[in-house]
Amino acid sequence: MSSGASRRNEGRAAAPASRAAAPRRGARSHRTGLDSRLRAWSRHHRAMARDSAHRLLRRPLGSLLTMVAIAIALILPCALWLVMDSAKALDTELDESATLTVYLSASLGEHQAMDVADTLRAQPGVAGARLVTAAEGMAEFQQALGLEDALSELEENPLPASIIVSPRDVSPQAVNELSGQLDDVEGVDEVRLDMAWLERLNRLAELGQRLTLALGVLFGLGVLLIVGNTIRLAVESRRQEIEVVTLIGATHAFVRRPFLYSGAWYGLGGGLLAWGMLTLGGQWLAAPVQALAQSYGATFVMPSLGTEGSAILLVSSTLLGWLGSWIAVSRHLKDIRPR
Amino acid sequence: MIAFEHVGKRYGGRFEALADINFSVQRGEMVFLTGHSGAGKSSLLRLIMRLERPSRGRILVAGYDIDRLHTSQIPFYRRQIGVVFQDHQLLFDRDVFANVALPLEIQGVEPHEAARRVRAALDKVGLLHREKALPIELSGGEQQRIGIARAVVNKPALLLADEPTGNLDPQLSADIMRLFEDFNRIGTTVMIASHDLALIARLRHRVLRLRDGRLIADEHAAREAV
Repeated sequence: MSSGASRRNEGRAAAPASRAAAPRRGARSHRTGLDSRLRAWSRHHRAMARDSAHRLLRRPLGSLLTMVAIAIALILPCALWLVMDSAKALDTELDESATLTVYLSASLGEHQAMDVADTLRAQPGVAGARLVTAAEGMAEFQQALGLEDALSELEENPLPASIIVSPRDVSPQAVNELSGQLDDVEGVDEVRLDMAWLERLNRLAELGQRLTLALGVLFGLGVLLIVGNTIRLAVESRRQEIEVVTLIGATHAFVRRPFLYSGAWYGLGGGLLAWGMLTLGGQWLAAPVQALAQSYGATFVMPSLGTEGSAILLVSSTLLGWLGSWIAVSRHLKDIRPR
Repeated sequence: MIAFEHVGKRYGGRFEALADINFSVQRGEMVFLTGHSGAGKSSLLRLIMRLERPSRGRILVAGYDIDRLHTSQIPFYRRQIGVVFQDHQLLFDRDVFANVALPLEIQGVEPHEAARRVRAALDKVGLLHREKALPIELSGGEQQRIGIARAVVNKPALLLADEPTGNLDPQLSADIMRLFEDFNRIGTTVMIASHDLALIARLRHRVLRLRDGRLIADEHAAREAV
Protein backbone atom coordinates (compact mmCIF):
# COMPACT_ATOMS: atom_id res chain seq x y z
CA MET A 1 0.00 0.00 0.00
CA SER A 2 2.66 2.40 1.00
CA SER A 3 4.63 2.46 -2.21
CA GLY A 4 1.41 3.25 -4.03
CA ALA A 5 0.76 5.88 -1.42
CA SER A 6 4.00 7.69 -1.96
CA ARG A 7 3.56 7.63 -5.71
CA ARG A 8 0.20 9.25 -5.28
CA ASN A 9 1.67 11.83 -2.96
CA GLU A 10 4.26 12.77 -5.54
CA GLY A 11 1.53 13.00 -8.12
CA ARG A 12 -0.36 15.40 -5.90
CA ALA A 13 2.69 17.53 -5.30
CA ALA A 14 3.27 17.78 -9.03
CA ALA A 15 -0.32 18.70 -9.79
CA PRO A 16 0.06 22.52 -10.05
CA ALA A 17 2.75 22.14 -12.71
CA SER A 18 0.77 19.68 -14.81
CA ARG A 19 -2.51 21.56 -14.51
CA ALA A 20 -1.60 23.95 -17.31
CA ALA A 21 -0.92 21.04 -19.61
CA ALA A 22 -4.14 19.22 -18.77
CA PRO A 23 -6.68 21.80 -17.67
CA ARG A 24 -9.70 19.53 -18.11
CA ARG A 25 -8.43 16.93 -15.72
CA GLY A 26 -7.60 19.58 -13.18
CA ALA A 27 -11.06 21.08 -13.36
CA ARG A 28 -12.77 17.75 -13.05
CA SER A 29 -10.77 16.67 -10.06
CA HIS A 30 -11.51 19.99 -8.40
CA ARG A 31 -15.23 19.52 -8.90
CA THR A 32 -15.27 15.99 -7.53
CA GLY A 33 -13.12 17.26 -4.67
CA LEU A 34 -15.75 19.77 -3.65
CA ASP A 35 -18.52 17.25 -4.12
CA SER A 36 -16.81 14.58 -2.05
CA ARG A 37 -15.96 17.13 0.63
CA LEU A 38 -19.63 18.07 0.82
CA ARG A 39 -20.57 14.42 1.10
CA ALA A 40 -17.94 13.86 3.76
CA TRP A 41 -19.28 16.86 5.64
CA SER A 42 -22.87 15.66 5.65
CA ARG A 43 -21.68 12.12 6.46
CA HIS A 44 -19.89 13.43 9.52
CA HIS A 45 -22.97 15.41 10.54
CA ARG A 46 -25.11 12.29 10.37
CA ALA A 47 -22.50 10.25 12.22
CA MET A 48 -22.19 12.84 14.99
CA ALA A 49 -25.97 13.23 15.32
CA ARG A 50 -26.20 9.46 15.81
CA ASP A 51 -23.14 9.25 18.03
CA SER A 52 -24.24 12.05 20.36
CA ALA A 53 -27.74 10.55 20.61
CA HIS A 54 -26.15 7.22 21.59
CA ARG A 55 -24.02 8.93 24.20
CA LEU A 56 -27.16 10.50 25.68
CA LEU A 57 -28.98 7.17 25.72
CA ARG A 58 -26.01 5.43 27.31
CA ARG A 59 -26.61 7.36 30.53
CA PRO A 60 -30.38 7.79 30.41
CA LEU A 61 -30.88 9.08 33.94
CA GLY A 62 -28.35 11.89 33.69
CA SER A 63 -29.67 12.93 30.28
CA LEU A 64 -33.24 12.84 31.52
CA LEU A 65 -32.39 15.02 34.52
CA THR A 66 -30.83 17.63 32.24
CA MET A 67 -33.87 17.54 29.98
CA VAL A 68 -36.26 17.86 32.91
CA ALA A 69 -34.32 20.91 34.13
CA ILE A 70 -34.62 22.42 30.66
CA ALA A 71 -38.33 21.54 30.52
CA ILE A 72 -39.00 23.25 33.84
CA ALA A 73 -37.22 26.37 32.66
CA LEU A 74 -39.34 26.36 29.50
CA ILE A 75 -42.70 25.66 31.11
CA LEU A 76 -43.05 28.81 33.18
CA PRO A 77 -42.76 31.38 30.38
CA CYS A 78 -44.83 29.13 28.10
CA ALA A 79 -47.63 28.84 30.64
CA LEU A 80 -47.63 32.58 31.21
CA TRP A 81 -47.70 33.12 27.48
CA LEU A 82 -50.71 30.82 27.19
CA VAL A 83 -52.55 32.73 29.89
CA MET A 84 -51.71 36.04 28.22
CA ASP A 85 -52.83 34.67 24.90
CA SER A 86 -56.26 33.70 26.19
CA ALA A 87 -56.51 37.05 27.99
CA LYS A 88 -55.77 38.73 24.68
CA ALA A 89 -58.60 36.80 23.05
CA LEU A 90 -60.87 38.07 25.82
CA ASP A 91 -59.50 41.56 25.33
CA THR A 92 -60.28 41.72 21.61
CA GLU A 93 -63.77 40.53 22.35
CA LEU A 94 -64.15 43.45 24.74
CA ASP A 95 -62.61 45.83 22.24
CA GLU A 96 -65.19 44.83 19.68
CA SER A 97 -67.94 45.63 22.14
CA ALA A 98 -66.44 49.05 22.86
CA THR A 99 -69.07 51.55 21.76
CA LEU A 100 -69.94 55.17 22.34
CA THR A 101 -73.38 56.19 23.35
CA VAL A 102 -74.39 59.51 21.79
CA TYR A 103 -77.39 61.14 23.54
CA LEU A 104 -79.38 63.51 21.39
CA SER A 105 -81.10 66.66 22.53
CA ALA A 106 -84.51 65.83 23.95
CA SER A 107 -86.09 68.43 21.69
CA LEU A 108 -85.27 66.52 18.49
CA GLY A 109 -88.07 64.77 16.68
CA GLU A 110 -87.74 61.28 15.23
CA HIS A 111 -86.88 62.47 11.69
CA GLN A 112 -84.27 64.87 12.95
CA ALA A 113 -82.77 62.07 15.03
CA MET A 114 -82.48 59.93 11.88
CA ASP A 115 -80.71 62.80 10.13
CA VAL A 116 -78.20 63.03 12.97
CA ALA A 117 -77.64 59.27 12.77
CA ASP A 118 -76.88 59.65 9.04
CA THR A 119 -74.45 62.46 9.77
CA LEU A 120 -72.67 60.29 12.32
CA ARG A 121 -72.47 57.36 9.92
CA ALA A 122 -70.72 59.63 7.42
CA GLN A 123 -67.91 60.40 9.90
CA PRO A 124 -64.64 58.75 8.90
CA GLY A 125 -63.96 57.19 12.30
CA VAL A 126 -67.35 55.56 12.58
CA ALA A 127 -67.86 51.91 11.66
CA GLY A 128 -71.57 51.83 12.39
CA ALA A 129 -74.33 53.74 14.13
CA ARG A 130 -77.61 52.40 15.44
CA LEU A 131 -80.40 54.76 16.37
CA VAL A 132 -82.26 53.98 19.53
CA THR A 133 -85.41 56.13 19.59
CA ALA A 134 -86.82 57.43 22.84
CA ALA A 135 -89.52 54.76 22.75
CA GLU A 136 -87.04 51.95 22.06
CA GLY A 137 -84.78 53.26 24.79
CA MET A 138 -87.68 53.13 27.19
CA ALA A 139 -88.54 49.59 26.19
CA GLU A 140 -84.93 48.43 26.70
CA PHE A 141 -84.79 50.20 30.00
CA GLN A 142 -87.98 48.58 31.19
CA GLN A 143 -86.81 45.18 30.12
CA ALA A 144 -83.46 45.53 31.75
CA LEU A 145 -84.88 46.74 35.06
CA GLY A 146 -88.10 44.78 35.11
CA LEU A 147 -89.97 47.96 36.08
CA GLU A 148 -92.54 47.88 33.31
CA ASP A 149 -95.46 48.77 35.52
CA ALA A 150 -93.81 51.58 37.40
CA LEU A 151 -92.47 53.22 34.29
CA SER A 152 -95.69 52.89 32.33
CA GLU A 153 -97.16 55.15 34.98
CA LEU A 154 -95.02 57.98 33.65
CA GLU A 155 -96.94 60.30 31.42
CA GLU A 156 -94.01 61.41 29.38
CA ASN A 157 -90.98 59.45 28.23
CA PRO A 158 -88.06 61.09 30.09
CA LEU A 159 -85.40 59.38 27.95
CA PRO A 160 -83.79 61.10 24.99
CA ALA A 161 -83.13 59.28 21.75
CA SER A 162 -79.59 57.93 21.51
CA ILE A 163 -77.25 56.55 18.89
CA ILE A 164 -74.93 53.64 19.58
CA VAL A 165 -71.72 54.27 17.62
CA SER A 166 -69.11 51.57 17.01
CA PRO A 167 -65.74 53.14 16.32
CA ARG A 168 -63.55 51.94 13.50
CA ASP A 169 -60.38 52.14 15.61
CA VAL A 170 -60.86 50.81 19.13
CA SER A 171 -57.59 52.07 20.63
CA PRO A 172 -58.33 54.31 23.64
CA GLN A 173 -56.73 57.33 22.00
CA ALA A 174 -58.76 57.06 18.79
CA VAL A 175 -61.97 56.50 20.70
CA ASN A 176 -61.30 59.60 22.77
CA GLU A 177 -60.72 61.67 19.66
CA LEU A 178 -63.86 60.38 18.00
CA SER A 179 -65.84 61.20 21.09
CA GLY A 180 -64.75 64.85 20.80
CA GLN A 181 -65.68 64.94 17.13
CA LEU A 182 -69.12 63.52 17.73
CA ASP A 183 -69.75 65.98 20.51
CA ASP A 184 -69.48 68.82 17.97
CA VAL A 185 -72.20 67.44 15.73
CA GLU A 186 -75.39 69.48 15.85
CA GLY A 187 -78.20 67.89 17.76
CA VAL A 188 -75.83 65.91 20.00
CA ASP A 189 -76.29 66.52 23.65
CA GLU A 190 -73.69 64.30 25.20
CA VAL A 191 -71.23 61.56 24.28
CA ARG A 192 -70.60 58.90 26.91
CA LEU A 193 -67.89 56.33 26.99
CA ASP A 194 -66.38 54.39 29.81
CA MET A 195 -62.71 54.47 28.96
CA ALA A 196 -61.10 53.89 32.29
CA TRP A 197 -61.58 50.13 32.46
CA LEU A 198 -60.58 49.70 28.82
CA GLU A 199 -57.36 51.57 29.43
CA ARG A 200 -56.66 49.62 32.56
CA LEU A 201 -57.20 46.37 30.76
CA ASN A 202 -54.90 47.43 27.95
CA ARG A 203 -52.17 48.42 30.38
CA LEU A 204 -52.57 45.13 32.20
CA ALA A 205 -52.21 43.26 28.93
CA GLU A 206 -49.07 45.21 28.08
CA LEU A 207 -47.61 44.52 31.50
CA GLY A 208 -48.36 40.85 31.05
CA GLN A 209 -46.69 40.79 27.66
CA ARG A 210 -43.56 42.44 28.98
CA LEU A 211 -43.50 40.09 31.94
CA THR A 212 -43.76 37.12 29.61
CA LEU A 213 -40.94 38.47 27.47
CA ALA A 214 -38.71 39.16 30.46
CA LEU A 215 -39.37 35.72 31.93
CA GLY A 216 -38.83 34.16 28.53
CA VAL A 217 -35.42 35.81 28.19
CA LEU A 218 -34.49 34.94 31.78
CA PHE A 219 -35.49 31.31 31.52
CA GLY A 220 -33.96 31.08 28.03
CA LEU A 221 -30.69 32.11 29.67
CA GLY A 222 -31.38 29.42 32.25
CA VAL A 223 -31.60 26.83 29.48
CA LEU A 224 -28.31 28.10 28.03
CA LEU A 225 -26.66 27.70 31.41
CA ILE A 226 -28.07 24.21 32.01
CA VAL A 227 -26.95 22.96 28.61
CA GLY A 228 -23.66 24.85 28.85
CA ASN A 229 -22.79 23.23 32.14
CA THR A 230 -23.70 19.75 30.95
CA ILE A 231 -21.65 20.20 27.80
CA ARG A 232 -18.73 21.63 29.76
CA LEU A 233 -18.57 18.38 31.71
CA ALA A 234 -18.83 16.37 28.50
CA VAL A 235 -15.96 18.35 26.97
CA GLU A 236 -13.90 17.78 30.10
CA SER A 237 -14.53 14.04 30.02
CA ARG A 238 -13.42 13.84 26.39
CA ARG A 239 -10.42 16.08 26.81
CA GLN A 240 -7.86 13.51 25.69
CA GLU A 241 -9.85 12.72 22.57
CA ILE A 242 -10.06 16.42 21.73
CA GLU A 243 -6.32 16.84 22.20
CA VAL A 244 -5.55 13.88 19.97
CA VAL A 245 -7.86 14.85 17.13
CA THR A 246 -6.55 18.42 17.29
CA LEU A 247 -3.01 17.07 16.96
CA ILE A 248 -3.87 15.09 13.88
CA GLY A 249 -5.56 17.93 12.09
CA ALA A 250 -9.15 18.23 13.23
CA THR A 251 -10.73 21.63 12.66
CA HIS A 252 -12.58 23.42 15.46
CA ALA A 253 -15.82 22.71 13.63
CA PHE A 254 -15.03 18.99 13.64
CA VAL A 255 -14.31 19.01 17.36
CA ARG A 256 -17.40 21.10 18.14
CA ARG A 257 -19.84 19.10 16.08
CA PRO A 258 -20.64 16.16 18.40
CA PHE A 259 -21.15 18.56 21.31
CA LEU A 260 -23.43 20.80 19.28
CA TYR A 261 -25.57 17.80 18.46
CA SER A 262 -25.63 16.76 22.13
CA GLY A 263 -26.79 20.27 23.02
CA ALA A 264 -29.46 20.20 20.34
CA TRP A 265 -30.69 16.79 21.55
CA TYR A 266 -30.86 18.05 25.12
CA GLY A 267 -32.81 21.09 23.93
CA LEU A 268 -35.19 19.03 21.83
CA GLY A 269 -35.71 16.52 24.65
CA GLY A 270 -36.38 19.33 27.11
CA GLY A 271 -38.76 20.97 24.64
CA LEU A 272 -40.69 17.73 24.14
CA LEU A 273 -40.95 17.21 27.90
CA ALA A 274 -42.15 20.79 28.38
CA TRP A 275 -44.68 20.31 25.59
CA GLY A 276 -45.95 17.10 27.18
CA MET A 277 -46.20 18.64 30.62
CA LEU A 278 -48.03 21.71 29.29
CA THR A 279 -50.50 19.53 27.41
CA LEU A 280 -51.10 17.26 30.39
CA GLY A 281 -51.31 20.22 32.76
CA GLY A 282 -53.82 21.93 30.47
CA GLN A 283 -56.00 18.84 30.43
CA TRP A 284 -55.70 18.46 34.17
CA LEU A 285 -56.82 22.04 34.74
CA ALA A 286 -59.47 22.13 32.02
CA ALA A 287 -62.33 20.56 33.99
CA PRO A 288 -62.18 22.78 37.11
CA VAL A 289 -61.55 25.91 35.03
CA GLN A 290 -64.55 25.19 32.84
CA ALA A 291 -66.74 24.48 35.86
CA LEU A 292 -65.62 27.77 37.37
CA ALA A 293 -66.31 29.67 34.16
CA GLN A 294 -69.72 28.07 33.87
CA SER A 295 -70.65 29.16 37.37
CA TYR A 296 -70.09 32.72 36.12
CA GLY A 297 -72.17 31.98 33.04
CA ALA A 298 -69.16 32.38 30.78
CA THR A 299 -67.60 30.01 28.28
CA PHE A 300 -63.88 29.69 28.60
CA VAL A 301 -61.73 27.78 26.16
CA MET A 302 -58.63 26.29 27.77
CA PRO A 303 -55.65 27.79 25.91
CA SER A 304 -53.38 25.34 24.07
CA LEU A 305 -50.15 25.75 22.16
CA GLY A 306 -51.60 24.58 18.85
CA THR A 307 -49.43 23.40 15.96
CA GLU A 308 -47.64 26.69 15.49
CA GLY A 309 -46.94 27.20 19.18
CA SER A 310 -45.69 23.64 19.55
CA ALA A 311 -43.37 24.08 16.58
CA ILE A 312 -42.03 27.35 17.98
CA LEU A 313 -41.46 25.74 21.38
CA LEU A 314 -39.58 22.75 19.95
CA VAL A 315 -37.52 24.73 17.46
CA SER A 316 -36.52 27.37 19.97
CA SER A 317 -35.65 24.82 22.67
CA THR A 318 -33.49 22.92 20.18
CA LEU A 319 -31.80 26.14 19.10
CA LEU A 320 -31.23 27.14 22.72
CA GLY A 321 -29.59 23.78 23.40
CA TRP A 322 -27.42 24.15 20.34
CA LEU A 323 -26.43 27.70 21.27
CA GLY A 324 -25.68 26.81 24.89
CA SER A 325 -23.45 24.01 23.69
CA TRP A 326 -21.73 26.28 21.18
CA ILE A 327 -20.88 28.82 23.86
CA ALA A 328 -19.61 26.15 26.26
CA VAL A 329 -17.49 24.32 23.68
CA SER A 330 -16.02 27.48 22.20
CA ARG A 331 -15.04 28.69 25.65
CA HIS A 332 -13.42 25.41 26.61
CA LEU A 333 -11.69 24.65 23.35
CA LYS A 334 -9.48 27.62 24.06
CA ASP A 335 -8.33 26.01 27.31
CA ILE A 336 -7.60 22.66 25.71
CA ARG A 337 -4.24 22.82 24.05
CA PRO A 338 -2.46 19.65 23.13
CA ARG A 339 0.42 18.85 25.45
CA MET B 1 11.39 19.40 3.70
CA ILE B 2 12.23 21.07 7.00
CA ALA B 3 14.42 24.12 7.45
CA PHE B 4 15.17 25.91 10.72
CA GLU B 5 16.71 29.36 10.38
CA HIS B 6 18.05 30.91 13.60
CA VAL B 7 15.14 29.51 15.54
CA GLY B 8 14.85 30.32 19.24
CA LYS B 9 12.13 29.50 21.71
CA ARG B 10 11.67 31.03 25.13
CA TYR B 11 9.02 30.10 27.62
CA GLY B 12 7.74 32.76 29.97
CA GLY B 13 10.33 35.24 28.78
CA ARG B 14 13.23 33.66 30.66
CA PHE B 15 13.68 29.95 30.16
CA GLU B 16 15.37 29.39 26.84
CA ALA B 17 14.27 26.02 25.48
CA LEU B 18 15.94 26.45 22.09
CA ALA B 19 18.56 28.92 20.90
CA ASP B 20 19.70 29.72 17.38
CA ILE B 21 18.86 26.39 15.80
CA ASN B 22 19.89 26.00 12.17
CA PHE B 23 19.50 22.88 10.09
CA SER B 24 17.64 21.55 7.14
CA VAL B 25 16.26 18.14 6.32
CA GLN B 26 15.82 17.04 2.73
CA ARG B 27 12.71 15.33 1.43
CA GLY B 28 13.05 11.57 1.99
CA GLU B 29 15.68 11.84 4.70
CA MET B 30 15.60 9.97 8.00
CA VAL B 31 16.93 11.98 10.93
CA PHE B 32 17.37 11.28 14.64
CA LEU B 33 17.13 13.98 17.21
CA THR B 34 19.00 13.21 20.41
CA GLY B 35 19.91 14.80 23.67
CA HIS B 36 19.13 14.47 27.35
CA SER B 37 15.63 15.06 28.47
CA GLY B 38 15.13 18.80 28.67
CA ALA B 39 17.60 19.38 25.84
CA GLY B 40 14.81 20.69 23.65
CA LYS B 41 13.84 17.68 21.51
CA SER B 42 10.16 17.88 22.29
CA SER B 43 10.10 21.66 21.92
CA LEU B 44 11.61 21.31 18.49
CA LEU B 45 9.00 18.77 17.42
CA ARG B 46 6.23 20.92 18.86
CA LEU B 47 7.48 23.82 16.78
CA ILE B 48 7.32 21.71 13.62
CA MET B 49 3.80 20.59 14.48
CA ARG B 50 2.90 24.24 14.95
CA LEU B 51 1.74 23.57 18.50
CA GLU B 52 3.95 26.46 19.43
CA ARG B 53 5.49 29.37 17.61
CA PRO B 54 9.17 30.24 17.65
CA SER B 55 10.22 33.30 19.62
CA ARG B 56 12.82 34.03 17.00
CA GLY B 57 13.76 32.84 13.54
CA ARG B 58 11.87 31.07 10.81
CA ILE B 59 10.70 27.50 10.24
CA LEU B 60 9.99 26.30 6.73
CA VAL B 61 8.16 23.05 6.17
CA ALA B 62 7.66 21.91 2.58
CA GLY B 63 8.62 25.43 1.55
CA TYR B 64 6.05 27.21 3.71
CA ASP B 65 6.86 29.57 6.54
CA ILE B 66 4.63 27.86 9.08
CA ASP B 67 4.58 30.85 11.39
CA ARG B 68 2.54 32.64 8.76
CA LEU B 69 -0.17 30.00 8.65
CA HIS B 70 -3.57 31.36 9.51
CA THR B 71 -5.23 29.67 12.49
CA SER B 72 -7.82 28.15 10.17
CA GLN B 73 -5.06 26.63 8.01
CA ILE B 74 -3.28 24.88 10.87
CA PRO B 75 -5.51 21.76 10.91
CA PHE B 76 -4.87 21.27 7.21
CA TYR B 77 -1.15 21.73 7.73
CA ARG B 78 -1.14 19.11 10.51
CA ARG B 79 -2.83 16.60 8.23
CA GLN B 80 0.39 16.52 6.20
CA ILE B 81 2.30 15.32 9.24
CA GLY B 82 2.05 11.93 10.90
CA VAL B 83 2.92 11.98 14.58
CA VAL B 84 3.89 9.09 16.85
CA PHE B 85 3.89 9.78 20.57
CA GLN B 86 5.80 8.07 23.35
CA ASP B 87 2.53 7.30 25.10
CA HIS B 88 0.93 6.58 21.69
CA GLN B 89 -2.21 8.61 22.63
CA LEU B 90 -4.70 5.98 21.54
CA LEU B 91 -8.36 6.48 22.40
CA PHE B 92 -9.42 3.74 24.76
CA ASP B 93 -13.15 4.03 24.14
CA ARG B 94 -12.96 2.61 20.62
CA ASP B 95 -11.36 -0.36 18.91
CA VAL B 96 -8.11 -0.52 17.00
CA PHE B 97 -9.78 -0.03 13.66
CA ALA B 98 -11.54 3.18 14.78
CA ASN B 99 -8.31 4.51 16.28
CA VAL B 100 -6.37 4.05 13.07
CA ALA B 101 -9.28 5.42 11.02
CA LEU B 102 -9.38 8.67 13.03
CA PRO B 103 -7.19 10.79 10.70
CA LEU B 104 -9.22 9.61 7.71
CA GLU B 105 -12.46 10.40 9.49
CA ILE B 106 -11.15 13.90 10.18
CA GLN B 107 -10.28 14.33 6.53
CA GLY B 108 -13.66 13.03 5.43
CA VAL B 109 -12.37 10.04 3.50
CA GLU B 110 -15.19 7.93 2.13
CA PRO B 111 -15.77 4.95 4.53
CA HIS B 112 -15.10 2.23 1.99
CA GLU B 113 -11.80 3.77 0.96
CA ALA B 114 -10.96 4.49 4.61
CA ALA B 115 -11.49 0.85 5.58
CA ARG B 116 -9.17 -0.23 2.79
CA ARG B 117 -6.45 2.17 3.92
CA VAL B 118 -6.84 1.29 7.60
CA ARG B 119 -6.41 -2.41 6.83
CA ALA B 120 -3.38 -1.65 4.67
CA ALA B 121 -1.80 0.36 7.50
CA LEU B 122 -2.60 -2.34 10.07
CA ASP B 123 -1.16 -4.96 7.75
CA LYS B 124 1.99 -2.89 7.43
CA VAL B 125 2.54 -2.86 11.21
CA GLY B 126 1.58 -6.54 11.41
CA LEU B 127 -1.60 -6.13 13.45
CA LEU B 128 -4.32 -6.69 10.88
CA HIS B 129 -5.72 -9.54 12.97
CA ARG B 130 -6.28 -7.22 15.96
CA GLU B 131 -8.51 -4.64 14.26
CA LYS B 132 -11.48 -5.44 16.50
CA ALA B 133 -9.47 -5.39 19.71
CA LEU B 134 -9.63 -2.53 22.19
CA PRO B 135 -6.31 -0.76 22.80
CA ILE B 136 -6.41 -1.82 26.46
CA GLU B 137 -6.17 -5.47 25.36
CA LEU B 138 -2.90 -4.89 23.53
CA SER B 139 0.68 -5.02 24.77
CA GLY B 140 2.81 -1.88 24.93
CA GLY B 141 4.62 -2.76 21.72
CA GLU B 142 1.36 -3.46 19.93
CA GLN B 143 -0.15 -0.19 21.16
CA GLN B 144 2.85 1.68 19.79
CA ARG B 145 2.49 -0.06 16.45
CA ILE B 146 -1.18 0.97 16.35
CA GLY B 147 -0.01 4.52 17.05
CA ILE B 148 2.34 4.25 14.08
CA ALA B 149 -0.41 2.83 11.87
CA ARG B 150 -2.56 5.83 12.77
CA ALA B 151 0.30 8.21 11.98
CA VAL B 152 0.88 6.77 8.51
CA VAL B 153 -2.68 5.89 7.47
CA ASN B 154 -3.18 9.14 5.58
CA LYS B 155 0.21 8.82 3.87
CA PRO B 156 1.86 11.90 5.32
CA ALA B 157 4.89 13.35 3.63
CA LEU B 158 6.50 13.88 7.02
CA LEU B 159 6.53 11.49 9.96
CA LEU B 160 7.51 12.77 13.40
CA ALA B 161 8.08 10.55 16.41
CA ASP B 162 8.71 11.65 19.98
CA GLU B 163 10.51 8.89 21.92
CA PRO B 164 8.58 6.16 20.12
CA THR B 165 10.54 3.41 21.87
CA GLY B 166 10.71 5.04 25.26
CA ASN B 167 8.74 2.36 27.08
CA LEU B 168 9.81 -0.69 25.06
CA ASP B 169 12.48 -3.34 25.49
CA PRO B 170 15.44 -3.41 23.04
CA GLN B 171 14.00 -6.09 20.77
CA LEU B 172 10.66 -4.30 20.36
CA SER B 173 12.46 -0.99 19.94
CA ALA B 174 14.49 -2.40 17.08
CA ASP B 175 11.29 -3.69 15.45
CA ILE B 176 9.68 -0.26 15.72
CA MET B 177 12.73 1.43 14.23
CA ARG B 178 12.75 -1.01 11.35
CA LEU B 179 9.15 0.00 10.70
CA PHE B 180 10.20 3.64 10.49
CA GLU B 181 13.00 2.69 8.11
CA ASP B 182 10.46 0.93 5.90
CA PHE B 183 8.37 4.08 5.65
CA ASN B 184 11.48 6.13 4.99
CA ARG B 185 12.51 3.77 2.21
CA ILE B 186 9.33 4.53 0.28
CA GLY B 187 9.91 8.27 0.41
CA THR B 188 8.49 9.53 3.71
CA THR B 189 10.65 12.04 5.51
CA VAL B 190 11.14 10.73 9.05
CA MET B 191 12.32 12.60 12.13
CA ILE B 192 12.63 10.69 15.40
CA ALA B 193 13.43 12.18 18.79
CA SER B 194 15.10 9.56 20.96
CA HIS B 195 17.68 9.24 23.69
CA ASP B 196 18.36 5.57 22.96
CA LEU B 197 21.90 6.26 21.76
CA ALA B 198 22.92 2.63 21.31
CA LEU B 199 20.01 1.94 19.02
CA ILE B 200 20.59 5.14 17.04
CA ALA B 201 24.26 4.31 16.58
CA ARG B 202 23.40 0.93 15.11
CA LEU B 203 20.96 2.40 12.63
CA ARG B 204 23.43 4.78 10.97
CA HIS B 205 21.24 7.68 10.01
CA ARG B 206 21.85 11.37 10.29
CA VAL B 207 21.80 12.54 13.92
CA LEU B 208 21.05 16.02 15.27
CA ARG B 209 22.37 16.41 18.80
CA LEU B 210 20.84 18.95 21.16
CA ARG B 211 22.23 20.11 24.47
CA ASP B 212 20.60 22.80 26.60
CA GLY B 213 18.58 24.04 23.66
CA ARG B 214 21.53 24.30 21.28
CA LEU B 215 22.37 22.18 18.30
CA ILE B 216 25.82 20.85 19.17
CA ALA B 217 26.30 18.33 16.39
CA ASP B 218 24.83 17.44 13.02
CA GLU B 219 26.35 14.10 12.10
CA HIS B 220 25.91 12.90 8.56
CA ALA B 221 29.07 10.88 8.86
CA ALA B 222 27.69 7.83 10.60
CA ARG B 223 27.32 5.90 7.38
CA GLU B 224 30.84 6.62 6.13
CA ALA B 225 32.36 5.90 9.51
CA VAL B 226 31.59 2.20 9.16
